Amino acid sequence: MQAATTRVTLTARAIRSPRARRLWLGLVFVSPWLIGYCAFYLYPFLATLYYSFTSFTGIGNPVFTGLANYSGLLHDAAFRTAVFNTFYYTIIEVPFSTVAALGLALLLNMNVRGQAVYRTLFYIPSIVPVVASSLIFVWIFQPSFGIVNDLLSDVHINGPDWFFSISWSKPTFILLGLWGLGQPMVIYLAALQGVPREMYEVALLEGAGPWQRLRKVTIPMISPVILFNVILALVLSVQYFTQAQVIESPPGSPGNSTMFYITYYYQQAFQFLHLGYASAMAAFLFAGVLIITVVLLRTSSRWVYYENEQR
Amino acid sequence: MRAIRTAPGACGAHVAAPQAPPSPSPARRQRRTLRTIGSGLSKHFVLIVLSAMFALPLVWMIGTSFKTAGQALQMPVVWWPHPFLWSNYPDLFAALPYFRFFLNTFLYAAITIVGVCVSSSLVAYGFSRLRWPGRDAVFYVMLMTLILPFACTLIPLFVMYKRFGWIGGYLPLEVPTFFGSSVFSTFLLRQFFMTIPQTLSDAARIDGASEFYIYRRIILPLAKPAMAAVILFQFVYCWNDFLGPLVYIGDQNRYPLSLGLDLILGEYTTNWAWVMAGATAATAPIVILFFFTQRTFIQGITLTGTKG
Repeated sequence: MQAATTRVTLTARAIRSPRARRLWLGLVFVSPWLIGYCAFYLYPFLATLYYSFTSFTGIGNPVFTGLANYSGLLHDAAFRTAVFNTFYYTIIEVPFSTVAALGLALLLNMNVRGQAVYRTLFYIPSIVPVVASSLIFVWIFQPSFGIVNDLLSDVHINGPDWFFSISWSKPTFILLGLWGLGQPMVIYLAALQGVPREMYEVALLEGAGPWQRLRKVTIPMISPVILFNVILALVLSVQYFTQAQVIESPPGSPGNSTMFYITYYYQQAFQFLHLGYASAMAAFLFAGVLIITVVLLRTSSRWVYYENEQR
Repeated sequence: MRAIRTAPGACGAHVAAPQAPPSPSPARRQRRTLRTIGSGLSKHFVLIVLSAMFALPLVWMIGTSFKTAGQALQMPVVWWPHPFLWSNYPDLFAALPYFRFFLNTFLYAAITIVGVCVSSSLVAYGFSRLRWPGRDAVFYVMLMTLILPFACTLIPLFVMYKRFGWIGGYLPLEVPTFFGSSVFSTFLLRQFFMTIPQTLSDAARIDGASEFYIYRRIILPLAKPAMAAVILFQFVYCWNDFLGPLVYIGDQNRYPLSLGLDLILGEYTTNWAWVMAGATAATAPIVILFFFTQRTFIQGITLTGTKG
C-alpha cells in the first residue's frame, strides 16, 4: 500500500515536470503513427528479416534454414536477370527523367507566355492512372496496328515490336516512364521560381553568361530539391512493377526481358509461395536501397548547397 | 540590392545584353526585338512539339474509344473516327460491372481519406507545433519509412491479415491509414503547420486552451488548403492503386477501377476501341478533377517537393 502510494506520487511528479509533460503530450499526438509504425512497418520488417532465414509457405510454421535462401539467390540465374533488368531501367530512366524534367522546368521558367498551359499539358500524363497509361502505351506501341509504327513507316522506318521485343521491351518501358515526368517538372519549376531574382541580377552584373548562371546560381540553389527527388525516383524505380505486370503476359516476357526485381519477387511470393526466398529478396533489396541512399546523402555535401545550415 | 534592382538595363533575367547603351539606334532596337521574337518563337516551337508528343497518347486514346473495332485496326491509321461511335462506352459498361468498380474505388477512397485526415493531421501537429525531447529524431525515423520498399513488409503483413480474416476485403488497405501510414500526407501537413506563426498557439495557451483545442479550433481551420491537397492526393492515390488491391482483393465484384481496367486487357484484347473506352473512362474523372483543383494540386506538390 505504502509503495503503491509512493509510485503514484512519483508518476504525478514526473508528469508535472514540464519536460516530461511536453514529451508525454508530443507522444500522445504522434501515437497513431507510433502504433502504426510498430504494427505496419517495424514488426513486418523484422519478421521479413526472420523469414529470410527460413523455409516458409504461409501454412504452418517457418522452418529455420540458415543462409540457404541467400546462397540460393547467388546461384539463381532468374534472380540475376531480375537485378540486371531493374538496374538497366533505373540507371537510364532516373537520369533521363531528372534531366528532362529539369530542362523543361528551365524552359518554362524563361518568361514563357502561356506557362501555366504548358505546365498543365506536361503534368496531366502523370495523373493518368497507371493501368490506363499502360494500356495506352500498349496500344500506341502495338507492333502492327499502333500509331507509332504507322508514323515511323511514313518516314520509311520499320518499327520494332516494342513491348514484345526482347531488345526493345525495356526501352519502351523507359519511354512510358518519361511520359510521367510532369510530377518532378512541377516541383523543379516551383523550386526555380523560389530562387531570389537578385542573385541573377548580381550574376549579370558580374558578366556571367547563361551557362554560368545555370551552373553557379540555378543548380546550386535548387540542389536540395534535386537530391530529394532523385532519391525518391531511385527508390520508386527499383520497385518498378505495376506497368510491367499490366502490359506483359505472362509477366516477365518476352524471354525474361521484363522480369523486374519486384516482378520476380511477386512471382516467388504469391505464385510459388516461396515466402522465405522472397523475404531474402526483400532483405537484399532493402540493403541495396539503403546503400544507394547513404551514398547519395554522403556525397551530397559536395554538390548540394544548403542556404542556411540550420539542420 | 535596391539600387541594383532599379539600375537601368538590369531589370530582369530576360535582358540579353546589359551592356547595351541606354538609347539604342532604331535599327539596333529592331534587331534586338527581332532576336527576342526569334528566341520566343524557338522556345514555343520546342514547347509545342513536346506538348504534342505528350498529348498524342491521350488524343489517340480518346479517338480510338469512338471507333469501331475494325476501324481501330485500320492501316494506315484513321485520325478522325468515322462513324463517330458512342456505343463503345455503354457496351463496355454492360459487359463489365464498371459502375461497381467505380463504387468500390469511391468507397475505398472515402474511408482512407477520413483515416488520413484524422491521423496525419494529429501526427503532423505533434511533429510541428509541439516541442518535445527526441521529436526530430522520431521525425527522421518516420521519413526513413519513405525509402523502405513495400516488399520488405508485404509478406508478414499478408500473413498477419490472413490471421485476422481480412484477406479479400479492403481492411488491409484502409486500417493502416488510420495509423498515419500516409507519411506523405503527414509530411505535407507538417510543412504547412510550420508556416503558421507560433504566437497564435502561445496566445491561446495563455488563455488556458488545451493543446487539443488549439489543434481542433485554431490550427485545423487555418490548414484547410493543405487538408484539401491531402484529400486530393489520397483520392488520386486510391484511384491509381493497383498493387494493394492486386494483393488483397480476390473477388471481381469487389475490384477497384484499376483492377477492373486490367481485366479489360485480358478479356477484350481484340477490341482496342473497348480497351481505350475503358482507359478513357478511368482517366477522364481524374483529369477533370485536376482541372477544377489545379491550384490546390500544385500548391500541395510544391509544399512537399521543394522544402524537403
